[in-house]
Amino acid sequence: MMKKNHLPAKIFLFLFLLMFIFLPFIPLVLTSFSYNWIWPNVMPESFSLSAWDYVLFENSSTWQAIGVSLLIAFIVTAVNIILAVPAANAFVRYPLRGKWLFEAIIFAPIVIPPFVAVMGIHLTFLRIGLTETIFGVVLAHISPTLPYVVRAAITSYSTLSVDWENQARMLGAGPFSRFYHVVLPHLMPGIAAGASLSILISLSQYLITFIIGSGQVMTLPILLFPFISGGDPAIASSYSLLFAGMAIVALLILDLALKRYYKKKQAAAAIKGVRE
Amino acid sequence: MLRKIKPYLLLFPAIITIVLLFFGGLFDGFLKSLGYFPAIGETEFSLKAYSSLLQSDAFWDSLIVTIRIAALSAAISAILGAIVAVALFMIQETSKSRALNFWNRLFQLPLTIPHLVGGYVIVLLFMQSGFLSKILAAIGVIDQIPDFPVLVNDSFGWGIILTYAWKEAPFVALMVYPVLARIHKQWRDVSRVYGAKNRDFIREIVVPAILPAWTVAAFIVFVFTFSAFEVPFLLGVTYPSMLPVYSYQLYSSGTLVDRPEALAVNLVLALLTVLLGLIAYYFSKRWNVLKGWE
Repeated sequence: MMKKNHLPAKIFLFLFLLMFIFLPFIPLVLTSFSYNWIWPNVMPESFSLSAWDYVLFENSSTWQAIGVSLLIAFIVTAVNIILAVPAANAFVRYPLRGKWLFEAIIFAPIVIPPFVAVMGIHLTFLRIGLTETIFGVVLAHISPTLPYVVRAAITSYSTLSVDWENQARMLGAGPFSRFYHVVLPHLMPGIAAGASLSILISLSQYLITFIIGSGQVMTLPILLFPFISGGDPAIASSYSLLFAGMAIVALLILDLALKRYYKKKQAAAAIKGVRE
Repeated sequence: MLRKIKPYLLLFPAIITIVLLFFGGLFDGFLKSLGYFPAIGETEFSLKAYSSLLQSDAFWDSLIVTIRIAALSAAISAILGAIVAVALFMIQETSKSRALNFWNRLFQLPLTIPHLVGGYVIVLLFMQSGFLSKILAAIGVIDQIPDFPVLVNDSFGWGIILTYAWKEAPFVALMVYPVLARIHKQWRDVSRVYGAKNRDFIREIVVPAILPAWTVAAFIVFVFTFSAFEVPFLLGVTYPSMLPVYSYQLYSSGTLVDRPEALAVNLVLALLTVLLGLIAYYFSKRWNVLKGWE
């Protein structure tokens, strides 16, 4: 078929994609290892680990900020899953009156920027003592993230046939074990996808955390902002890479946990098979 | 009876959470934008904040800047995204599925990068003494730092536009690529039987097929950029600023008088995004963007 002229076109495409994805990161990585990088040198005159040393070891608030960021992200995500799974169940499997209204309510924060609601509720939070607390920030992070988890859970539920649960029921499984052994394994990939988004969005919030946390709840974006808006470029670059890396590592851990969950399930099924 | 209300019970926790935290916040903000704030003794309703907002130049300048930046970001990321999708599609035609999977994951990388980091990447690349400026100086195109155009913290907003173009292009590609992937090989053969050239095939089949998903994706980028804060806060100028930044400036200015006005900006912003969101929703339903065709 279209064999002619294929190789040059392909090389061009590869170059385009590589440039598009990697070129922007080159100055970030170089700057983080640079020492006094003066224009117009294309490469830094000398390399140094001092920025990384400062970020990772000297500044003790770095690890604390990572801890706070991850703590908030995981609590938010856990709450989201608990709220989203029953809601998705209702959306997919039951005839609902006014379904469009419920959907509009749940998905509204995707369209309307959540900081609008957070700024509105700020003074009320202040009055009841929720500002400057991790709990307050967790509450503020729920509306930007929950819609995505619900959507992911809905996708999972819509491919789950009621027949499987009925079969389990006929074999004598109660509601709890039906959910645990039949429904949950099927929902797991969808929940994991929704949880990834929820973690990613929570980790990268700046404004909402800043308003409710009032600078007292130090997540990584709050810690890093002064550096990237006019601080030392080497330290700002190291923090940026750390910030991006934290999000990616959190997602990888989730991915790994999901794989282990399925391995365990498979192993358990195999053992049962042998016993019978 | 219990069976009838069961779905509503299942929905209740999620709904009440969003209603309290999100709509409660919107309503709270709305009341305060009208000057109703019992905690400091204000119990009168007035439209003062809205009328002074609509009369201020700062608001209109901010609105114009916001629309301009959002439109340009959407247009550029749509073009880049389409190129990425077509590139992936052509690579897919020739390579194995594993390599494709790798590419698929790789080009989604800008999507997982936090916005603040994306903004800083653009700062390092495009500032006057940035990486591109250094490269241009090394190959002799420019002689001194001021020869490089001001693209970061500029009043036009190029830095913001570049950040979103780069970060959202993979999103556009992600929306367009599945549609491209469903264009069957046989269609190409059939079109050739009827005498269509490559160019005709692209114009008559490929473009009409991806157009709906492409338009909706670009529109989503527009709405998203319209209401984003972090990147314009980092890469913009103090005046004129994009609407969310303008609202934040008013809110954090320290005087209580400006707060109702900040919340009024927010309400205007919320109304505009709802309107834009409804338009996007209408067309995506009408063109069946998310379901596809057989």
